[in-house]
Amino acid sequence: MKERILQTLRDLRAYALEKGYEISLFYHEEDSYLMRFANSAISLNTNEHLIRLDITAYSGRKRASFELITDLAKLDEMKRGIDTAAEMVEHAMPLTYQPTVAAYADSFADESGYDQALAQLSNAERLDYFNTVAGDLETDQLKLSGIFSSGTNVLAAITTRSEHTQYFKTSDAQVTAVLAHEAEKWEIIAEQSAYRKPDLEPAALNRELSFLLDRFQQDPRQQLPTGSYDIVFGPAAIADMVHFMNWIGFSGGSMKRGFSFVAEDKLGQKVFSDKVTLVDDPRLLDTYPFKRDFMGMERNPFAFFDQGVFKGFAWFQDDADEFGAQPSGHTVMHKSLHLHPGEVKAASLEELVRMPRQKDVLYIPFLHYMNIVNPSKGVITGSSRFGALLLKADGSVVVPFNVRLTQSLLDIFGDKVAWLSQDTVACNQSQSYGARNPVAYVVPRFMQVDGLEISHSNPSF
Amino acid sequence: MLDQIRQQIDRVKGMGATYVDCRWYPFEEQNYLLMWNGNLKVTAASRESGMGIRVLYKGAWGFSASSDMGDIAAVFDKALDNARTAAERVTFPVRLAEKDILQASFTSPSRVNPFEVPLNEKVAFLKAMDDKLNQKGVFQRSADLSFMRKQIVFVDSEGSEIEKNITEVFSSLEVNGLDAQGMSHERKYKLNRQGDTRGWESINPALFGENAERIVRELNEMLAAEDCPKEDRSVILLPGIMYLQTHETIGHALELDRILGYELAYAGGSFVTLDDFGRLRYGSGKLTARADATLPNSPGSFGYDDDGVPAQDNVLIDKGILVGAITGRQMVEEANVKAKRQIFDGSGGANRATSFYRVPIERMTNINIDPGSDGSLDDIIANTERGIVMDGDRSWSIGSNREQFHFGTEIGWLVDDGKITKVVKNATYKGDTVKFWNSLSAVGDESTWQVQLVNNCGKGQPNQVMQLGHGIPVCRFDNTRIGE
Ligand SMILES: [Zn+2]
Repeated sequence: MKERILQTLRDLRAYALEKGYEISLFYHEEDSYLMRFANSAISLNTNEHLIRLDITAYSGRKRASFELITDLAKLDEMKRGIDTAAEMVEHAMPLTYQPTVAAYADSFADESGYDQALAQLSNAERLDYFNTVAGDLETDQLKLSGIFSSGTNVLAAITTRSEHTQYFKTSDAQVTAVLAHEAEKWEIIAEQSAYRKPDLEPAALNRELSFLLDRFQQDPRQQLPTGSYDIVFGPAAIADMVHFMNWIGFSGGSMKRGFSFVAEDKLGQKVFSDKVTLVDDPRLLDTYPFKRDFMGMERNPFAFFDQGVFKGFAWFQDDADEFGAQPSGHTVMHKSLHLHPGEVKAASLEELVRMPRQKDVLYIPFLHYMNIVNPSKGVITGSSRFGALLLKADGSVVVPFNVRLTQSLLDIFGDKVAWLSQDTVACNQSQSYGARNPVAYVVPRFMQVDGLEISHSNPSF
Repeated sequence: MLDQIRQQIDRVKGMGATYVDCRWYPFEEQNYLLMWNGNLKVTAASRESGMGIRVLYKGAWGFSASSDMGDIAAVFDKALDNARTAAERVTFPVRLAEKDILQASFTSPSRVNPFEVPLNEKVAFLKAMDDKLNQKGVFQRSADLSFMRKQIVFVDSEGSEIEKNITEVFSSLEVNGLDAQGMSHERKYKLNRQGDTRGWESINPALFGENAERIVRELNEMLAAEDCPKEDRSVILLPGIMYLQTHETIGHALELDRILGYELAYAGGSFVTLDDFGRLRYGSGKLTARADATLPNSPGSFGYDDDGVPAQDNVLIDKGILVGAITGRQMVEEANVKAKRQIFDGSGGANRATSFYRVPIERMTNINIDPGSDGSLDDIIANTERGIVMDGDRSWSIGSNREQFHFGTEIGWLVDDGKITKVVKNATYKGDTVKFWNSLSAVGDESTWQVQLVNNCGKGQPNQVMQLGHGIPVCRFDNTRIGE
């Protein structure tokens, strides 16, 4: 199959050269499976096999693109697509800068993130997995929800600048299991991310849900007073905040356009707590990495923050072209972000709850519907969801109703960081809008930040 | 192709399926142009075709989609196979509300096909807007145009066959500037249709030009303004933010699949329960909200939904009392059984999919608020003692059951003793949904009513982006916390 894809790209390149076009071709093939659960039933079981060809045509400083959903058998349709892009580019307006067309120096293929056993999971295996997660936790009132999303992604690229090709193949799985109390309207969650089949451990999800369920059923509930709290964030909340930082923290293009809370003069300066080291690390297979970017640049670990010191912006090729910067190997569909762990031993929620503490601590595993209130100040807002707990200094646990947090990422990752856990988790951040693009960040399981403000507190679940 | 589809539907029914439908997209085309700071950054087009098959087997759904029309039997087989697996875990067997069997077609009203407008003309429009926006105080500026056109052929095992031809046009302008502290602020204008059609003719360069000048002026006023105070005031929401308030805290909260727990693992639930229908005071007596899929000039009108049910105009909230929801054939049946009473009389015709490769789910149509009797915007301001007028969507974050929210707007104007006193920046407000709607103290008349278009509503897994609209008046809510 790989050879057929690459040969098709070479044939299309030959066609473009014969016509005198300057183009780049980007092939994307997904085989996607999603089993969705709601109300303890399978509410949807779906699969899609889609092949997309994205054609970008260049003419001097002009650029235009045409994408089609197609099939390898439809070479003529793809050629017509190339003609369409070439025609469009003639009517485009020149950019004020010269866009760079990739010229691959050699052919490159990476299938290290592909596991056939994961890619070819059967319907029966997905259902078995969920049945194990559910165990005997479901009741008339407690209903299981979630997704088992898995699939294969193939990306390949060629341009008219060289005959060499780039090829990437990965397998991925994202599992979300939620137990929801129908009458009381609360939910608890356990999640897993996998790039190979042995990563799938349904029993671990069952244990996490069981532990949280005991807390929610046995411990008292409370509306928290608004005000200042020491907060321990769980992996999903941490990964989500890192995701927003990726957007408004260290993108060179965002910085130049005034949408970043890190200015150019912060290079080499301390921005965050010295406990914060954030690296784009394509060696981590858990993150579905790109070891080269789509311009053909080799990708090596790239620190954005090293012990709190800002080390550099990520420059996407087009932004680098526009602002005269050096591209940094970040012309990829996603980065492989790794927030380095800390010193504290806490490998599970049970261990976190058992840790001795001087003060009450609010545990927030998940921030729902996060958004940017003020990009220049790094202010984000979101609400707790899926199993927040107030861990009291006396060792008891209270289940709080959901709260809202509106804070700057500069504060959250700044000097208020008390500790990070030794243990890390691959937290799946994939969305399924448009083309499949599996993405996960590796983050500490827990991060405690002292003195953060809760601005809104729900009176009930 | 139609004969082949009918044969496959019969074949799969013969294998035990209780219901089968096929959405065949002979084509779907999109075109997107973005000019940013004078650079035509994106000139993009796309074309796709394919079919999505939905099979109901022993009370469970299976779905499969493919762009390969060479072996459509295989796609039907996969959908059936997926349904067979789903049938191993059923708690409430899916049943579908009765509907009329229709042979019908729908074409969205459009005078000029945007796909036949030469690219040069579209680029010239963006360049003209870019020139208008390129003014003092503007640090970043953008103008975009987006078009889509699709043909959908719906065939189901009950005998309905419906063809839809839908064209949509979207456009927006945005300016950003930096204040004295280097903080970024934004102001936008989005296409506001004047006529009853949805084609290229909706792009009125003169209207865009006027609004380009206005947003540049307002941005500059904001750059020199103080921060929004942190206090309680009446908030007067203009359509540019009122649409989002309606979208997030009426629209999403009243999707029946959310209410029944089908989105609990992702988008969230709803504070609304089945007991609330006919009983819950959702807002003050000034609030009447409806799901109106018959408004001609909005993408929330599509003739027939993806269950093959005709578009309707349904009241959701009647003078403050919750009476309806956003519904499709499956959810109304389940809701009536679970509520042990007949809340819903058939499907509300709001089940839609974003593409051939996604399954239909309950989506907003046009979630509108009826104009009220509190006069014009000037009248409402004149009758406000201590308030703030807000406009523009800058940020939005809503609780998982839609029970509370935090909105950041683009611009605020403080109102004291019936007069606008000054512009403020970073104007935000927050509240609890039911309490907030119950504080609705003024609803503007027809002169304030406007249809706002939405082209990026996200929902479902796999994720789906949907286009819809909101016809809304200016509204005032009392005792609201701002500036936080
Ligand atoms: Zn939405």
